[in-house]
Amino acid sequence: MSSGGNASSLPLVGGLPEPTIKELSKPGRRSFNYPALDVPEENIEHEAIKTEKAPLPEVSEHDLVMHFSRLAHRNFAVDLGFYPLGSCTMKYNPRFADWVASLPGFSNTHPATPSKFSQGSLEILNVLEEYLIEITGMDFASFQPPAGASGELTGLLIIKRYLENNGFDEKTNIIVPDSAHGTNPASAKMAGFNVVEVATDINGLVDVNELKTLVNEKTAGLMLTNPNTGGLFEEDILEISSIIHDAGGLLYYDGANLNAIVGVSRPGDMGFDIVHSNLHKTFATPHGGGGPGSGPVAVKEYLKEYLPGPIVKKVNDTYEWYQPQFSIGRMHGYHGNFLVALRALAYMKLLGKEGLDNLGSYAVLNARYLASVLSKTLPLAYAKPCMHEFVATVKELKKSHKIKAYDVGKAMLDKGFHSPTIYFPLIIEEALMFEPTETQSVDTLDDLAHSISLIIEDLKDNNQNLSNYPKNLPVGRPNELIPAKHLTVNWGDFELLEITE
Amino acid sequence: MFVPHSDIDLKKIYEELSINSLSDLFSHLPKDLILENGVDLPESISELEAIEYFETISQRNTQNLICFAGGGHYDVYLPHTVKTLTMRPEFMTSYTPYQAEISQGILQALFEFQSLVCDLTEMELANASLYDGATSIAEAISVAINKTKRDEIVISSGLHPNCKEVINTLIDNQKFNIKYIDLDDFHFPKDYEFSENDAAFVVSYPHYEGSAEDLSELVTKAKDKGLVTICYVDPTLLGILKTPGNMGFDIVVAEGQSIGTPLSFGGPTVGWFATKKEYARLVPGRIIGESRDSNNLKSYVMTLRAREQDIRREKASSNICTNQTLNAIGSAIHLCWLGPEGIYSMGYQAMQKANYLKNRMKEEDIEILNHKSSIREFIIKTPKNSDLVIEGMADEGFLAGIKYDDNHLLIAVTEKRTKQELDSYVDSIKKVLNE
Repeated sequence: MSSGGNASSLPLVGGLPEPTIKELSKPGRRSFNYPALDVPEENIEHEAIKTEKAPLPEVSEHDLVMHFSRLAHRNFAVDLGFYPLGSCTMKYNPRFADWVASLPGFSNTHPATPSKFSQGSLEILNVLEEYLIEITGMDFASFQPPAGASGELTGLLIIKRYLENNGFDEKTNIIVPDSAHGTNPASAKMAGFNVVEVATDINGLVDVNELKTLVNEKTAGLMLTNPNTGGLFEEDILEISSIIHDAGGLLYYDGANLNAIVGVSRPGDMGFDIVHSNLHKTFATPHGGGGPGSGPVAVKEYLKEYLPGPIVKKVNDTYEWYQPQFSIGRMHGYHGNFLVALRALAYMKLLGKEGLDNLGSYAVLNARYLASVLSKTLPLAYAKPCMHEFVATVKELKKSHKIKAYDVGKAMLDKGFHSPTIYFPLIIEEALMFEPTETQSVDTLDDLAHSISLIIEDLKDNNQNLSNYPKNLPVGRPNELIPAKHLTVNWGDFELLEITE
Repeated sequence: MFVPHSDIDLKKIYEELSINSLSDLFSHLPKDLILENGVDLPESISELEAIEYFETISQRNTQNLICFAGGGHYDVYLPHTVKTLTMRPEFMTSYTPYQAEISQGILQALFEFQSLVCDLTEMELANASLYDGATSIAEAISVAINKTKRDEIVISSGLHPNCKEVINTLIDNQKFNIKYIDLDDFHFPKDYEFSENDAAFVVSYPHYEGSAEDLSELVTKAKDKGLVTICYVDPTLLGILKTPGNMGFDIVVAEGQSIGTPLSFGGPTVGWFATKKEYARLVPGRIIGESRDSNNLKSYVMTLRAREQDIRREKASSNICTNQTLNAIGSAIHLCWLGPEGIYSMGYQAMQKANYLKNRMKEEDIEILNHKSSIREFIIKTPKNSDLVIEGMADEGFLAGIKYDDNHLLIAVTEKRTKQELDSYVDSIKKVLNE
């Protein structure tokens, strides 16, 4: 089968490892070239100045370029193949946004430039705020949080400050579903709240009856993503919202799954008071191998004065920085990941109303289709129709053939696809979580489903050593115990270990 | 836009799902929650129109101001080699390297980043990046609190005000007492006595005001009382300054923008975090380790994962997940481009050029507060309001510096500034101050 998302032609097959840049270093070689010093040189005596040179590698520019290009070559990417990674929204990242982010007027502006001389940057944040609040149904936004987890922490600190300001010091509990992303409880803890877990019912939704028993005068709020991490829309969201609000708590929307509902439904209309968006998921900014992201936080009007400041305010035709009155304070040294925000705006401008109105619909369409085709091979965790992602399980195959989700994920790498998210959400045994996004073609979805059926047949073969996969990649499964035990985290550490053991 | 489906594709999908329209996908949602008319936003524009739209807005940032602002973000020369290599799509559009077998490129690049940071700061273990310098300081303080179980924090007042604000946000001041210690003639007071209730000693090197000193004795004194010592360093000066590791610091953090990333209006940049191996299990964020695969081939993999939020949830060492990997790779490539001579020149030329500028200003009777102790950044007195000086200098084509207070300006010089720029800066500021 051939498809646009299949990367199995990649010459990733590696014979030898790539040496480190330190191993390529030879004394006297250099890449750098600076103009000669053009001011009169003085002998400067200073107690903090050292005499020896820093021990950095010495390489020629061509060696440098070849080394890092070969490293790039040893990596999977959205530009190479399909990432069906649940909860990560690995959609196509438009090239055009790269060009926008490299415009010198944006990329070369110092962050301390007064607003009078950085009107363009402030305008970008203001226009993007208009897009975000319209899409999420909120009123104001701050772009300081540099990633989703930082956005979560921002939201929780806003809840805390708001409750304190209004005399609700006893409200110390944040309710988090047992299916939530790990960042939710970690952020709640960092903000100084107690974490109370609410169970998921057999249909995959928040157990509303249990929620009622957990809510009390201590309830500060609920963190929820909708659709949830099982890919299901929380159909009782309006009731959930009433339960929390009636107890004086606030509703926090984890925007990790926003892609499912863009143009379809809005967190603000569901009753959420605070929303963070992951611009690196929903709005197509590149993930950069793990970052940078951007996690702007949008709130309802009554929480505006709590946002991390300063935020942009438009006064007549100029843009100014505005410091919210009860601001929780800064979440970032300056204005957050500005160039990521800029890329997101470039994407949204290209999509426009029509593209944004259909964004969630096509994301759901692709997931629903893949779920339908794949369910002929693997059982799905839930019977309800999925939104932008869904969870399959190999629980039964583990019992019958000792096949684990991990093995399926690894075998997929050999077929030219990234693994889906595995073992998440934690409440589903042997979970494989798929999120195709709206930018993959039906051929690619068919190819993936077909590949998985071949993998399952292959793994069922009793003569097969399940841990053999992957076989066709630069390296096989790395031993994860060695670095954790011996802290081989710096070049030279491993060689030292070999000598001493 | 960017949806690949043709009408034929859609027909196939609709048949598989037994639906007739996209709205059929949402028949199970509460009716009240469905957006009837979609979002109220402008129509799509083509790429060609978008070029004009974004170029026009970018030009509303005052163009080509010669930059003398610093405070952690510096206008250094960023080579095209570094930019184009960092922007390789395989780096830029890949996901976090959880699947090690198809992520050796990102993993090895990050491992090299960690190692380069360790070599440059003389530390043993660096993580794969945090958000920025300011948040890295706050994370380092959290490590100190977890390590010592104490609740007083000693911070040198010579720290960027925005970093202080971030610390104030992220460290709960109801539980922990943050003590800012004023500088004494632009140095941390040598006779300062630490207490056994203090968890951390945090100091910027150089200080925000640009002065620096050998901090070894203070570090020893702080460690004698059991404090975790934290150095916030300007990485572009590490080719000429004594290293934090050499001075005995336990944790080194940095704003890494000036190594590998354009000014970017402050983001995305990268936070560096390096420490000693004894702190390994308290470190926030991802760490890459070297290992061997089933065939005994060298391979890299994310390690010490049990500290992280996706596994430990509310017991994690930090909530950080997405970090600044691409900027960290940019740092690694830039450091290799620089090498020992380049990083030396970067710092040495900045220091010599700052010295020249200070001398020229002194000749013009502009008062410099920390002429001798400063390295590449210093404070001048402005007899008129510093906001007006910055505005006047912008008309002359300069970003004059950062407002320190109403009557003082913080000026930074990088290796990139030319003698001609320095001379015309002096001419301009003379004019603006006397206007």
